[in-house]
Amino acid sequence: MVNGKLENLENIMKKLFAALLAVFLAFSIAHVSAAAQKKLNVVVTLNYLKYVTEQVGGDKVTVTALANPKQDPHYVTPTPRMNEVTTNADLFIENGLSLDLWAKNVIDASGNPNIGVGNPGHLIATINVPVRELPTEVSRAWGDIHPQGNPHIWLDPLNVRIVAENIAARLQQIDPTNSGYYQQRLDAFKHRLDEKMYGSELLDLLGKKGGDILTRKTKDGELYSWLASRHLDAKLGGWMKMAEPLQGKEIISYHKTYIYFADRFGVKIAGELEEKPGIPPPAKHRDEVVDLVKRDGVKVILNDNFYSTDAADYVASKTGAKVIVTYIDVYSSPEANTYENLITYLLEKILKAAS
Amino acid sequence: MKYFLIAVGMFVCAGTIMAQQSAKDSQADTSETSIQRLRNEVNELRKEIQSLKTDSTTTSLTQVTEDDLDALEDNIDQRMQRLENKVDAVSRASAPIVLNPRMTAFINFAARHDNDTVYDAPGGSVISNRPFLRAVEMELGSAVDPYAEAVAIISLNSDAQQGFSVEAEEAYGLIKRLPILETAPLGLKVKIGRYLAPIGISNITHLHDLPWTTYPLVISKYLGGEHGNFFDSGFNPVGADFQFFLPSPVPSATFEMNADVLRGSELGISAGDPGGQTAYLGHLTLSQDWNNEHLLVLGVSGYTESGITTTNLVGGNLMYKWAPSEQRENHSFVGGGEIFFGDHTTPNPAGGTVTRKPYGWYTFAQYQFSYWTYAGLRYDWVQEPSNAQLVTREISVFVSYYTTEFLRFRLGFEHRTSDALAPNLNNTNSILFGANFVFGSHPVEPYWVNK
Repeated sequence: MVNGKLENLENIMKKLFAALLAVFLAFSIAHVSAAAQKKLNVVVTLNYLKYVTEQVGGDKVTVTALANPKQDPHYVTPTPRMNEVTTNADLFIENGLSLDLWAKNVIDASGNPNIGVGNPGHLIATINVPVRELPTEVSRAWGDIHPQGNPHIWLDPLNVRIVAENIAARLQQIDPTNSGYYQQRLDAFKHRLDEKMYGSELLDLLGKKGGDILTRKTKDGELYSWLASRHLDAKLGGWMKMAEPLQGKEIISYHKTYIYFADRFGVKIAGELEEKPGIPPPAKHRDEVVDLVKRDGVKVILNDNFYSTDAADYVASKTGAKVIVTYIDVYSSPEANTYENLITYLLEKILKAAS
Repeated sequence: MKYFLIAVGMFVCAGTIMAQQSAKDSQADTSETSIQRLRNEVNELRKEIQSLKTDSTTTSLTQVTEDDLDALEDNIDQRMQRLENKVDAVSRASAPIVLNPRMTAFINFAARHDNDTVYDAPGGSVISNRPFLRAVEMELGSAVDPYAEAVAIISLNSDAQQGFSVEAEEAYGLIKRLPILETAPLGLKVKIGRYLAPIGISNITHLHDLPWTTYPLVISKYLGGEHGNFFDSGFNPVGADFQFFLPSPVPSATFEMNADVLRGSELGISAGDPGGQTAYLGHLTLSQDWNNEHLLVLGVSGYTESGITTTNLVGGNLMYKWAPSEQRENHSFVGGGEIFFGDHTTPNPAGGTVTRKPYGWYTFAQYQFSYWTYAGLRYDWVQEPSNAQLVTREISVFVSYYTTEFLRFRLGFEHRTSDALAPNLNNTNSILFGANFVFGSHPVEPYWVNK
C-alpha cells in the first residue's frame, strides 16, 4: 500500500515546493511588519546573564536563557528549540572565554544574521573583566583549558558590575531611545550590588560615589586598610563583612569554578579534585588531594552540582572534610533565585561547613 | 692674627654704624619705641626665615617626588613599549593565522575479526580479518564575509582493498543574508555546494561521529555509495539546501523544513543510472525538548527524481534522548530508528520498464553507564535495492569508551544473515574494534547523540 503511494511522490514534491514558497513569502512580509515597536528580544546563554539583563533592561526587554541553570555550562547541547528561540533575537549575549562555545552552533543554526559575530546584536558579556589564569601554553594535553582564561567570572560581584555595564552599553546602542532608562536601571542595580557587598550604612556614609570608591579599594586590595585609616571598619557590612571569618580559610573545589569567588572573599583554594580541567580525577591525583587535605587541615570540598561526587566523597571519607554540593548559576535552586541570593547562598554554605 | 685684625675691624665698623644709627633713632623716637620696632623687625625676619624654610622643604620634596615620578614614568614607558613591541610582534606573526579557517582533523581506525569471508558489498572486495585506516578527514571552516560562511571537509577514504580516494565529503557555502536582504525570514539559511543531505538522522552524521562502528545497512544500501556500510559516508550530493523554521502545529514544539534541489543519480539506489536529472528533497522535523533534559525528534523525508529513470524515496525517523541536567551520575540514553521505502524504475532492455520497491529499517538504543562508557545495540533489516526478495538482517552490540570527547575506543560484535550472499557466506559473526582521534578546534558535538 505504501509503495503504491510512492508513484505520485514526484507530483506531491513539486506541489509541496510551490506551497512552501508561498508560505515563505507570506511569512517574509509578516516578519518585516512585525519588526516594529516591540520589546527587545534578548537571548542569553547562561541564567546569570538573564538575571543581569533583566535588571538592566527592565520592562523594555524579554530575556530567554538557553541553558538549564543546573547544567554544566561547558556542555550544553544545542537543540532545535534553542535555534528557533534565537531566530528572532535582537541581541544575543554569551559569557565568552570559551565557556559557552555551544553558543556558536545556536547562532549558526538560528539563521539570524543580526546576532552573528561582528554585529551589534552579538555581545560577549565578559569584555573588560580582568581575567585570571591565562594559560602560558595552550594544548589539549592540559585538558579542557580555556585559552582566554578562567571563564567563571560571575562568582565575583565586582565582575558582575562590569558585565552589567557591558549589557547596558549594548542595550543603549541598539535601543538609543531608551538610553536613559537603561542607565537609570544600571545605576540602581549597581547600587543594590554595592549595598549587598558592603552594607547600606557604609554606603550612606560615603555618599553618592561610595560604591565606586569601595569597589576600587576592594579591587586594589586596600579596602580594610582604607576603612581602618578612616575609622570606618566597624561600619563595613554586607558580603564583605560576612566573609571575614573565611579570610585565609582553605578549601578544595572539584573544578576551577571558584577562583574569582575565593579571590574576592579571601578564601584560599588549596587545590582541585580535577587534575586537569574537564577530565574526571584519576585515582592517583585523588590520593594526592587526600594528602593535601590532611596536611593543610582543609575542612571544605566544594562540588558543583553537575559533577560526580565520587571523588569528593572519597576524599571526605579519608579526611573528614565536608562535601558541599553547590549551585553556581542563578535560578538553579530556590536559594539562588537572584544573583544576590546566589552569592549569599554560597557564602552561607561555606561558612557553615568551615565553622 | 690677620683674621683677628679683620674681625676687630668689622666689629669696629659695625659698632660705628650701629652707633650712628642709634644716634639718628634717638633723635627721632624714644628708646622704648625703638626697641619695639627692632623687636618687630626681628619677628618679621623670623617669619620670613620660617617661610623660606617651609618653601625650601616643600620645593625640595616636590623636586624629589617629581624626579621619582619621572623615573617611574620612564620605567613604565619603557615597559609599555616593550609590551607594545611584543603585542605588535605577536599580532604580526599571528595575523596570517587568525584569518585562516579553523581546522579540525579526524583519524578513524577500525579493525575486524570475522568467522568467515566478508565482502564490503555483494560482489565487492574482501574485508574480513584485517585492520583499516578507514578515514582521515580535515575540516576547514570560516566566515567568508559578513554574509556567508564556508566549510570544506576533505576526506581521505579507504576504498576497501582498492586503496584510498580523496573526496570533498562536504564543501559548501552557507549564506545567512545578503546586502539586499538584511534579515532572514523564518531563520532561512541557504547552503550551496556538496553536503550530507538532510534525509533522516544518520545521513547527516559523519562516519567518525556515529554511535556505531558502521552505518546502518539501510543508509548504506539506499543512500550511500559502493563500498558498503563499513566504509560509506552517506549521501552527499551537489545541490542547494534551504533550511527554515515553520509555525509548529504542536505548541512549544519546533518545526523545521529543509527543501533541497540536487543533482540526481547520486542516491545509492539510483547511482550509476543515466540521466543526471534534477532531484528534489524535502525533510520535515518536529522536535520538542523539556528543560534540555528530554529531546524528542520526529522526521519525514521525501526524495524524487525522474527522467530516463525514476527514483522516489520516502523515509521516517524517530529519536528520543535523555540526558539529566545534573550529570552527577553520568547517565544518559538515546534511542530511535529510521525507515526508508524506495521506488526505482529503470528502462528494461527487453522493453518496458523494471520497477523495484525495496524497503528497510533499523532501530537502536544506547545507554551511558559512566562518564567514559556507553553501551548499545542496533538491529537492521533491509531488502536489497536490486531485489526486494533478498533480505539482510543484522544485530550488533557495542561498547564505547571515551577518554575525552576527542578520543574514543569502541568494541563491537555483529551477527549478520543475508539472502544476498552465497549460502556458505550468509551467516557471519564479526568482532569490530575502532579508535577515533579528533584534534584541532573541534566544534561542539551534534545535538542528537552522545554528548
